Amino acid sequence: MSPIVVIIIVLALVLIGLLIAFFLFGRGESRFTFDIGGGAPRASGGSDMSSEGGFKSRLFGLGIFSGSIIGVLLARLWTMQLVSSSSYSEQAESNRSRTISTAAARGRILDRNGKELVNNRASLTVVAKSDVVDDEIEMRLLANLIGMPEMAVKRNIEDSTGGAQSLRPVAVDVSRRVVAFIDAHQSVFTGVSVEERTQRHYPQGTLAAQVLGYTGTVSSDQLKKSSSSDSKSSIAYESGDVVGQAGVEYEYENVLQGVKGEQKVYVDASGNVLSYSSSVEPQSGSDVVLTIDSALQKAAEDSLAKRIAALRKQGRTDCHAGCAIAMDVTNGEILAMASAPTYSPSVFVGGISSDDWKSLSDDSSHYPLMNRCIAGQYPSASTIKPLSSFAALNYGIATTSSTYYCSGYWTGFGKGFGQYCWDHAGHGTVNIQRGITVSCDVVFYEIGKGFFYSKHPEGLQDTYKKWGLGSKTGIDLPSESEGRVPTPEWKYKYYASSDSDSRTWQGGDTTNLVIGQGDLLVTPLQMLCVYEGIACDGTMYRPHVLKSVKSPLGDGSVVTYEPQVMRKVTEKQAYLDVVHAGLKGVIYEESEAQTEHFTNLSVTVAGKTGSAQTSKSQPTGWFIAYAPYDKPKYVVASVIEYGGYGSEGAMYVVRDILGQIYNQPDTATSVDNSGVQ
Amino acid sequence: MARQTRQNSAQGAKVNEKGLGSFSAFYSHIMNRRGMAARPSTGKHIARSSVYIPQLIPAVLLVAYGAVVIYSASLSIAEASFPRHLLGIAMGLVGAFLIWRYDYRTLQNMTTALLVTDVILMFLPKVPGLSYTALGMTGWIKIPIIGMTFQPSELAKLVTIYLMAGLGAQYNGKIDTLRDYLKLCGFLCVPFLLILTQPDLGTGLIILVTGAAIIICAGAKRSWVLVTIGGIVALGALVVVMSMTPGMPHPLKQYQLNRLIVFADPSVDPAGDGYNLQQAKIAVGSGGLLGKGIGHATQAGSGFLPEAHTDFVFALLAEEFGFVGSVLLLALFGGLIFSTIILANKIESPFGKLVLVGCATMWSFQLLQNVGMCIGIMPITGIPLPFVSFGSSSMLVQITAVGMVQSVWHHKLKAG
Repeated sequence: MSPIVVIIIVLALVLIGLLIAFFLFGRGESRFTFDIGGGAPRASGGSDMSSEGGFKSRLFGLGIFSGSIIGVLLARLWTMQLVSSSSYSEQAESNRSRTISTAAARGRILDRNGKELVNNRASLTVVAKSDVVDDEIEMRLLANLIGMPEMAVKRNIEDSTGGAQSLRPVAVDVSRRVVAFIDAHQSVFTGVSVEERTQRHYPQGTLAAQVLGYTGTVSSDQLKKSSSSDSKSSIAYESGDVVGQAGVEYEYENVLQGVKGEQKVYVDASGNVLSYSSSVEPQSGSDVVLTIDSALQKAAEDSLAKRIAALRKQGRTDCHAGCAIAMDVTNGEILAMASAPTYSPSVFVGGISSDDWKSLSDDSSHYPLMNRCIAGQYPSASTIKPLSSFAALNYGIATTSSTYYCSGYWTGFGKGFGQYCWDHAGHGTVNIQRGITVSCDVVFYEIGKGFFYSKHPEGLQDTYKKWGLGSKTGIDLPSESEGRVPTPEWKYKYYASSDSDSRTWQGGDTTNLVIGQGDLLVTPLQMLCVYEGIACDGTMYRPHVLKSVKSPLGDGSVVTYEPQVMRKVTEKQAYLDVVHAGLKGVIYEESEAQTEHFTNLSVTVAGKTGSAQTSKSQPTGWFIAYAPYDKPKYVVASVIEYGGYGSEGAMYVVRDILGQIYNQPDTATSVDNSGVQ
Repeated sequence: MARQTRQNSAQGAKVNEKGLGSFSAFYSHIMNRRGMAARPSTGKHIARSSVYIPQLIPAVLLVAYGAVVIYSASLSIAEASFPRHLLGIAMGLVGAFLIWRYDYRTLQNMTTALLVTDVILMFLPKVPGLSYTALGMTGWIKIPIIGMTFQPSELAKLVTIYLMAGLGAQYNGKIDTLRDYLKLCGFLCVPFLLILTQPDLGTGLIILVTGAAIIICAGAKRSWVLVTIGGIVALGALVVVMSMTPGMPHPLKQYQLNRLIVFADPSVDPAGDGYNLQQAKIAVGSGGLLGKGIGHATQAGSGFLPEAHTDFVFALLAEEFGFVGSVLLLALFGGLIFSTIILANKIESPFGKLVLVGCATMWSFQLLQNVGMCIGIMPITGIPLPFVSFGSSSMLVQITAVGMVQSVWHHKLKAG
């Protein structure tokens, strides 16, 4: 303190002291009388009655003033504390109470026999109160104990997505050692505790990964959707909720998601929890029972993986992916749905790392998240030939007894537009049934030419669409593709940048279409349904993976999926007989090596191979079959990308699946080298 | 009672007994029995007559009530130290005792000294080494050595009451010339304008209203007063409009303007200035009829209500003790204020009358301002609730003011 300040203070104190002394001892002195313009005060005692009266009325006025102040305050307090007290009480209550939601366990996903495909496992989670971030030492100790960077610990604690008052998860799946250490050192780790939370668990590993899908934190779009009133889902999500993001987890989110519990807490103005109040227990989600048979699913996946590996070993280096489906034709139940390559859904538990996500969505990993059975789109190749036959028969392009001569090379559109049959040696004279059996392209080139010049140039497309191509089957799984049935109109639009000659529908387009090559795209599931329809004389059940839903309450009331007919196609029995016989011929007549793989089965099988031309060195192979031939029950399809002809890869997968169904493994060793398509 | 009153008049007391109307009857009654009736015409001094009981009782009860409220606040608010509150009360009692013993009439002729004191008090916070800033105001001093903080403008309120009463009393109830009226107004402007430099608009308003009441009661003509009030309202409006207009000088600080805006519409800014008001109203309203009980105030106890022990102490009181407690507080203040007004009516000395007018007005206005802001009928200012709010300066000054009233009673008979 500078000397000047001290002097000023001393002076001030002296001045105050002088004033006090003056007030106490200066009475009677009139030197300090303020000059009021005329000397002595004018007060002259109480004789002036007028001023006395004036005082009285003014004091009365002052009384009114004070009285009305008290009156106004009273009136206002009356309305606030008595009349509208309850509304203020509500506001006070909402001020101090907060609701924390407690997570409900998701429902399990079971296979048709009750085997757990997805369940929940307890996960020891270290949670911390939000104010732990203020204690740097505690945070550092915690980070060292868990083995996480301090910054990551800080970020997790500061994450308030679960609500300002919620406990923040710091680390999931911590070891018992960490739990014991925290319990033993409660004085150091104040505000830190260990909770048993649940995480998604996959007891069967990667089995049916693409069907099951995965869960993840709710996205902002989903949040927005759930908060909009017109949303059909009745669940109101909160930021940070774990929801289904793909597959069954996504499709049956409403069923699997439980009802969150609520814990009411009292807080102070800074949001610190003072005490706990009432709570509502969470209610776990319902179990979903799938139509999938896990044993069959495993057989399909194993066979698919084995076959793809084998084909790659044979030098087909582009062969990495494929799929297989098995369905019950009597009700549309999907018994197995395999897609390769696959992935482990457990990488999504607790939030997928960006590295993992990158590798799963990278081209070099061949998109393992994609369910190729429903989202993969390929040219159908020769598997379309039964439909082309129906078209030809129905539109009068051919009759059941029409015959064609195949020399191996077809010049129906002139010498300049010659096309080979897959078998350059030629099939000789063939009818439609034989054409299906040996997959003779020339027969269908003739049919295509017939359509091209007929009054119904789009008869093929109409027939394909009638059987469900080009539209979704409506299976209860997300991200289904609808495929594409090319038409002249479509071609003209699609190739808008080309010259008008190449935009115009040519005869070659029709001959491509009739053998399922070129611009035609179908999903394996669509073709599976087509063969279901062929097997069942036109009746196609909607494919589905849900068998029933089991409520978690009590003994568990069960809601069962009722099969529904998706499409009923009417074909003349004579035409159906031709196609059935043709498809049976594929198995038992087309190639001896192929036949060998089915003669060791106790049931009669009908099916079709297909080999779609691709931009790579190897075609994409198809094989679709149904069995038993007389009373169809199962239909099985497989596609292997860039793996060669259908008889070289997909056929084995279908045979393995049938082998699993009938418990009759394929013992034949012969390999078909004839290149049948 | 009427008989008693008449009897009393018959005793020849110069006190005007016709009273201020029915509301004074109760206090007249008590006075007649305790004080006036006991006063012998010989002028002999009897101990109990030296204390004005009707005013003392509500004052003591108010201080006790305030102590209970601050005790409950001390349970949840760390700054509300109950011992410090008691210390403030003790200091106030000392001040009240001194002023009660002191013959206040001496001050009537010392207006110059009072004015100087006023000015010094206003300048104390600007003295380097003493000044201490709290709550955005420089109106505080930190007394060296003791280390206590004190707000001199609080004390200036009392000095101003004496100053204005001393000046006004010289006209004996009738101010004849406009020049005299303007001179009085001029004197009032000195402490008022000085306090605005601190800046402490709240205390300035109290000084202005208190001084104005003294001037009016001193006998100012009604027309002058109306013109003056009109002028003040116009000036105030001009200040507000200027402050809200960009590009013009802003006499009001932004926070002061915000408080006015929020007062007009509390929903404007519920997290900022409007938040305090909203929380105070919730506290008062949620108190209901009987209140939540001591220590059970959720608004004040959990920190939602800011300044629950100082500026918003009424909200805390209303939340804990409900409508019943609020009415009790208003009743005690009513007793305090009306007993003071009645006394002013009874005594002869114009100076004494005007001192009492000053005290009564100060309490009335502070009550209106403090309770009014908690319930949303007055804008927010930092004016404490007398006898209740935590704070030594206010407590010292308010209890001393009780002593001022007692001093008027004590010296009513002695020869001036």
